[in-house]
Amino acid sequence: MKQIKIIFLIGLFLQSSCKKENDYIYQLQDVNVKQTGSEKNNSKSTTEFISIAYSDLFSVSISQSDLLKFNTVYTAFGDKKLIEDRIIRNLLNTPGVLIPTGIGSDTTSFINNSYKKFYNREPNAFESYYLKQQIRLNTIINPTVIYYCLMTSDEYRYY
Amino acid sequence: MNRRRFLRNASMAAVGAFASPYILPSGRLFAASGARKVNHVVFLLYAGGVRNTESIHMNDGNLMPNLLSGNAAISTDIAGAMDILPASPLSQPLQNFGTLFKEFRYSQGPTGHYNGHTVAVTGQYVDVDLNLREHPRKPTIFEYYRKHNSPQQTALNSWWVANTLGPYPALNYSSDPDYGPAYGANFIAPTSLISPDGFDVLGNPRNFTSAEQGAIYNIRDFVNHSFNKTFVDGSAGVTNAATEAGRLQKFITDSYANAQAGLYANPWGAGPSMNNDMFNVFYAEQIIKEFKPELLVVNMQDVDIGHFNFTSYANNLRKADYAAAHLWSLIQSTPGMANDTVLIIAPEHGRNANPNTTVDAYGRRALDHTAPSDAITGDQKAREIFCMVVGPPSVVKQGYVINSIAGESTDIVPVIANILGFDTAIPGTSGIKSYQSCDLQQAFI
Repeated sequence: MKQIKIIFLIGLFLQSSCKKENDYIYQLQDVNVKQTGSEKNNSKSTTEFISIAYSDLFSVSISQSDLLKFNTVYTAFGDKKLIEDRIIRNLLNTPGVLIPTGIGSDTTSFINNSYKKFYNREPNAFESYYLKQQIRLNTIINPTVIYYCLMTSDEYRYY
Repeated sequence: MNRRRFLRNASMAAVGAFASPYILPSGRLFAASGARKVNHVVFLLYAGGVRNTESIHMNDGNLMPNLLSGNAAISTDIAGAMDILPASPLSQPLQNFGTLFKEFRYSQGPTGHYNGHTVAVTGQYVDVDLNLREHPRKPTIFEYYRKHNSPQQTALNSWWVANTLGPYPALNYSSDPDYGPAYGANFIAPTSLISPDGFDVLGNPRNFTSAEQGAIYNIRDFVNHSFNKTFVDGSAGVTNAATEAGRLQKFITDSYANAQAGLYANPWGAGPSMNNDMFNVFYAEQIIKEFKPELLVVNMQDVDIGHFNFTSYANNLRKADYAAAHLWSLIQSTPGMANDTVLIIAPEHGRNANPNTTVDAYGRRALDHTAPSDAITGDQKAREIFCMVVGPPSVVKQGYVINSIAGESTDIVPVIANILGFDTAIPGTSGIKSYQSCDLQQAFI
């Protein structure tokens, strides 16, 4: 009887010590780590502005010689807003620039992609609604117009 | 309150009510008289370091026959190296149309180009080597003009035209918190902007239809209002309002068109003699024709080749001389500026009495400009310069020459302010000289 008790206790012990562990799966909710517009506090330098604008429109880095050329011309005029406006309009008119031929039927997608491309963030609901309305109501608005507006805006000057 | 106190308080309140409208932001009690001598001032910095020995004292003959009277022949050893220039555009030397200060002085501070330019446009000496990446700490004449001239004018009325880049773009406004870019001048380095590189970068812009522009205005206004900063708050430099910016865009577009049409290839008929100084003055003339600015400062610096080649220095003195005369000729043929403009010409500093060791092909030794900053010891020749003030006979003494030491670089800013009628509106705490203490006022009737 005493042996039976010992065997029972050993069995009980083994059963409890070999209990299978629970698998806990820790999951994180997806979080958008891109900046909102209000968190952009740093003004782009001349070099940053030119090289970012170039790569945004041509999907390649600007060459060192071209960057030097742009910098020289940029420095040669005092009104930087004016000269940046002119640089952007010139880039938009340069052969090889990558601009969609049309906004297409998926306006939401075009607006989202444009905001991500130039502002490194998604538009908020109000921005998306406003631009969709503008595009819907005004057939003159084309991708070049949208690109020009975003690239000559205040937010594009900051990161 | 008794009757006497009531009457006293009431009378003080009445006095205050009348006086307070005249207390200006500048701290002055009353508005400036606004009495102008003329409505336009052009300040030509005959810069790069010009030694009086070669200019005023004509040690190698009259190298500046368009500005200075005198028929002394150019020294025979270097005469053959002088480029051919067109005949003078003036009927007589420029000094006959104004007053010449033969012994003007750059009295203090390092005799460096940027220091000299800074002193010239701020009216205050700087006793330290400047940070070439910074705007001047003291306000410039452009800012005094745009802040204190009444009525206030846009930047289209004040221009800084530089013959090169480097630190010079920074001279169109200061970092003074009470002034700064809001009161700065339009800046242009035309030989860098109106160039093949400039055309590549700016010459073929996308132009939008008026319908597109309407949409752009709305959308950009929307996106800018969705952002909590403006670029103007940062490093946008001088900002022109939309109408003025449109005129500037057109000016740039027209300049490229003219350059492409060959109109800027040899504009003065000087052929290969046309140097960077001459082109810079030529572009300043285009600004004068287009905008008729009230205040324009333009510089030349090609004589600075004097560090390495004395004979080329002498040659470039002649070219700068021709450019200065051409500038006055253009001013006098421009409606709105003719007979209503004062032209001030002065180098930023001079050059040493003692040459350096570099010898040119004609056996001449080159010249630096390194006057010791104590303004007393060593070679102080680089502080000796000239100044010429030219203008209408009713305003500027004609053919008048001051041979003695009179006037200094810091006279120029207060004199420009006086000419345009706003000198008394500048706060007394600014640090610039009063007009009354400037020897340069002797030029005026």
